[in-house]
Amino acid sequence: MVAGDQSDPADVLIIGGGPAGYVCALRAAQNGRSVTLIERSRLGGVCLNEGCIPSKQLAAFAAAKAGAERMAAAGMPAFAGAPDMIAFQKGRGATILTLVKGVAALLEAAGVKTVTGNAWFVGRTRLCVEVGEESVRYFDFKDVVIATGSSAAPMEGLPFDDDRVVEPARALEWRFLPETLLVAGDDYVALELAVAYARLGSRVTLVTKSMRLLPDFDPDISAAAQRGAKAIGIDVLLSEDPAARANGAERVIVSAERRPNLDHLQLAAAGIAPAASHLIVDDHLRINRHVFAIGDVTVGLPLAHRAMAQGRVVGDILGGKPAAMDVHAVPRAVFAEPEIAAAGSTEAAARDVGVEVDVGRFPLAALGRAVAQSATSGFAKLVFARQSGILIGAHLAGPRATELIAEMALAIEMGATAEDIALTVHAHPTFAESLMEAAEVALGRPIHVRLPKR
Amino acid sequence: MPRYEFRLPDIGEGLAEAEVAKWLVAVGDRVAEDQAVVEMLTDKASVELPAPGAGVVLEQRAAEGDVVKTGSVLYVLESDAQIGVAKPVDETAREQSPKTIGATLPEAAGVLAPPAVRKLARELGLDLSGVKGTGPGGRISTEDVQRHGAGAVARPRVAAAAPGGSRVRLRGVQRRMAETMTLSARTIPHVTGFHELDAGDFAQLVTKLRRTAQERGSRFPFDTLLVRAAALGLRQHPILNASLDEERGEIVMHDDVNVGVATATTDGLIVPVVKKADELALDDLALEVERVTAAAREGKSALTDLQGGTFTISNIGAWRGGLGTSLIRPPEVAIVAFGKIEDRAVVREGRVVVRPVMPMSVTFDHRLIDGEQGLKFALTLRSLIEDPSQLAK
Repeated sequence: MVAGDQSDPADVLIIGGGPAGYVCALRAAQNGRSVTLIERSRLGGVCLNEGCIPSKQLAAFAAAKAGAERMAAAGMPAFAGAPDMIAFQKGRGATILTLVKGVAALLEAAGVKTVTGNAWFVGRTRLCVEVGEESVRYFDFKDVVIATGSSAAPMEGLPFDDDRVVEPARALEWRFLPETLLVAGDDYVALELAVAYARLGSRVTLVTKSMRLLPDFDPDISAAAQRGAKAIGIDVLLSEDPAARANGAERVIVSAERRPNLDHLQLAAAGIAPAASHLIVDDHLRINRHVFAIGDVTVGLPLAHRAMAQGRVVGDILGGKPAAMDVHAVPRAVFAEPEIAAAGSTEAAARDVGVEVDVGRFPLAALGRAVAQSATSGFAKLVFARQSGILIGAHLAGPRATELIAEMALAIEMGATAEDIALTVHAHPTFAESLMEAAEVALGRPIHVRLPKR
Repeated sequence: MPRYEFRLPDIGEGLAEAEVAKWLVAVGDRVAEDQAVVEMLTDKASVELPAPGAGVVLEQRAAEGDVVKTGSVLYVLESDAQIGVAKPVDETAREQSPKTIGATLPEAAGVLAPPAVRKLARELGLDLSGVKGTGPGGRISTEDVQRHGAGAVARPRVAAAAPGGSRVRLRGVQRRMAETMTLSARTIPHVTGFHELDAGDFAQLVTKLRRTAQERGSRFPFDTLLVRAAALGLRQHPILNASLDEERGEIVMHDDVNVGVATATTDGLIVPVVKKADELALDDLALEVERVTAAAREGKSALTDLQGGTFTISNIGAWRGGLGTSLIRPPEVAIVAFGKIEDRAVVREGRVVVRPVMPMSVTFDHRLIDGEQGLKFALTLRSLIEDPSQLAK
C-alpha cells in the first residue's frame, strides 16, 4: 500500500463550514450521524466572516448616525466629527471572533470532527483534503454534502485589484472612510454598502446598467429604494455602465453575481455531471442517493437563511427522516434607507402564473408611530390571492421592515388570509400595525387611509 | 440554441402522476429524436418517454424514484429542432418566477397547509393533494391529515434512530401495492366466507381443455375457468360487481364485468384485468387471460390492461397455497381466492370418500353487501365449479 492511500472512514462528510454546512453538520449529528466537516478557511463562511454579520454591524453603525441626524430637527445635538473607523473595525473583528468561536464550540459539543483544508473528490466515495503543505488526508464517505458556497465575481470592465476596486467583502474591512465611493451594482449588497457609506460621510455614486435598483423585487420597492438612496445624498445612476464612471472615485465596490465554488472540487471524479454554473438538486437537495448539495452552490437565491434551511433539511434526511425543502416563502431583508423586506410572490409573478390578486398598500405616512419617529417614508404592500384570500406575498419598506417580514413569512406558510391578518390585534403604536392596515385596505375597509377610488 | 422544457405528458387515462424509474441518458448526453430519455413507472406499467427532438439534455429536474405530477418539467433539452409539445424556457421569466425569488405559490400548488402539517404528511408518506381540508378555504389541518392517515399501517420509527441495516426505497409496483392495500384495510369493512368445493369434474375439464389447446399449439391457462365462473356469478349477483361512491352516497352498478387476475411478479403483486369477461367466448377468454397475465409477469403491461377492474380473483392454489383471506382492491367491493386442489377425505352419502377439494374464500365489502348476498354469490360459484359443464359453454 502506498502511504498516501491510507484513508479515514467518514459516515457523513460535509464540505464547507458556512451557514449551510455547519447547520447541516449540527443537525446530522443531532440525528445520530457521525459527521466530519471540512472547511478551507474559517467556520461560518462568507456570512459570518465577511458577509451578513459584519455588513449588518456596519449598517447598524451607520444607521445610528443617520438616526441621530434625523432627530436633529427635533432638538438632538448634531454629530461632530467623522466616525472612527479604526475603532469600528476592532469591534467588527471581536464580533466575528465571538461568533466563529461559538460555531466551533457548538460543533465540538455535538461531536462533529472539523478538518481544515481544501478538498476535492478523488472517487465516488473518496475525498482528498490538503491539510498542510504537501500533506493530504483521504476520507471514504458514506454520504457527502457539498456546501462550498460562492464567491463574488467581477463586473465586465471592473476587475478587482484588491485595493481601489474591490468586492463587497473587502469594503467591510476599510479602516478609513473613502472620500468618494462608486458602488457598481443593482442588488441588495450594492445598495446596503452605498447606504452605509453615504450615511457615514462618503460621497457615494451608485451605478447600474439596470433600469431600477433591486430589479427582482416589486417595482414599488425599487422606487422606495431609489427615493431613500437619493434622500441620503447618494447619486443614483440607472441604465449606465459602471465601468465608464469608475475613474474618478477613490474607491470602487463591485457587487455583481456570485459564482458557486465548484472549480476545485473535481466533481467528475465523483461521477457528478459538470454543472453549467450551479448544481441542480431535487426537493431533498440530492444530486444522487449519497451526494447532497446545499447553499449557494445550488440554484436559487444566495442567502444564508435559505442555506441554513437547506442544511437542516439535509441533516434530517441524513438521519433517515422524511424531510424536504418545502418552503413557500424565503424572506429577503435589505438594510438600506429605508429598510426593505419581501417574502413570497410579487403581483406580477402571481399574474404570470394565472393567479388573480388583490393588493393592499398602506403608506407609513398614515401611521402614528412613523410620524412620531420622523420616518414616514415607506409602505406595506400585501398581495392576496383573490379567490382564496390567502396571503401570497408581502413587500415592505420602512423602519424595521426586516423584522416585520417574519410575521408575513409565517402568515404565508400558514396560509393566512387578509381577514386573519386584519383581525389580529397589532400593538399600537408600532410599525407592525401597517400590516394589519394593509390587509384592511385589501379588504376594502381601511381605517387610517381613504380607500383609493376604483 | 433554444431550450425546451420537457413536461410529463398524460401517459394514460388521466393519470395524475408517475414515478421516474430510470434515467436512460445522463445530463450532458446528446439524444436523437425519439430516443428514449427516461423510463416512467405509472400505475403499474413502465413507459419509456422519447425525446421530442434531437438535442442535449441540460438538466434533469427529477431523480430516480421521484413521483412527478403530470405537466411538471422532467428535463430540459437544448435543441434546434422545432418541437411542438415542448415550450421554450424563457430565461427571464424563470429568473423572475416565484420559485427563484424564493417562493412557491401555495395557490398554484393547489394545497393549503401550514408547514407543520406538511411535515406530518411527509412523515406519514401522504400526498397532501389527496387530503381533504376541512378548514376555511379547504385549509388542511393536522386533524385532516391524521384522519386521512388513520388506520394506515403504523410505520416502524427506525427512521428516527441512526439508520442501521440496508434500506430500499419503496417504489413502483411495491409502492402501489402499499398504497392500495392500506386504503383497502383502512376503508373497507371486510367479511370473508370460507367454502370447500368438490373440484373433481372441474379439474378434469381443465385437463381436457388444456390438452385440446395444446393440440392446437396454444395455451389454456387454469385461471380461465375461474375467471369465467366469477364472470357468470357476477352477472347473477350484480351487487358484487359494483362500487361505492361515498362522497355522493351512491352505489355504482357497473355495466361491464371486468375481472382482475392477481398475478405475482418479481416486483410484487400486479392485477391485470380481463375486460368484459362475461362476453368473451371461452377460446377468446383463454387467449385474453394468457395475454394479460403473461404481460404482467414480464412487467410489460399496457396501462389500459391494469385499469378498469370491477372484481378480482386470486388463485393462491397456483403457488400451492392453502387458503387465506384477501384484501379487496378499492373501488371494487369483492374478491375471491381459490386454494390448491388437494385430495381430501369427505363424506358423500354417508360414506367417507376421497375427493379433490378446492378451498375458496369469498371476501366482500359489508358496507354494500350483506351476509346473505355474499353467501348466495359463493353458492353460485360453488355450483358453477362443482358442475363445470356450464363453464365450458
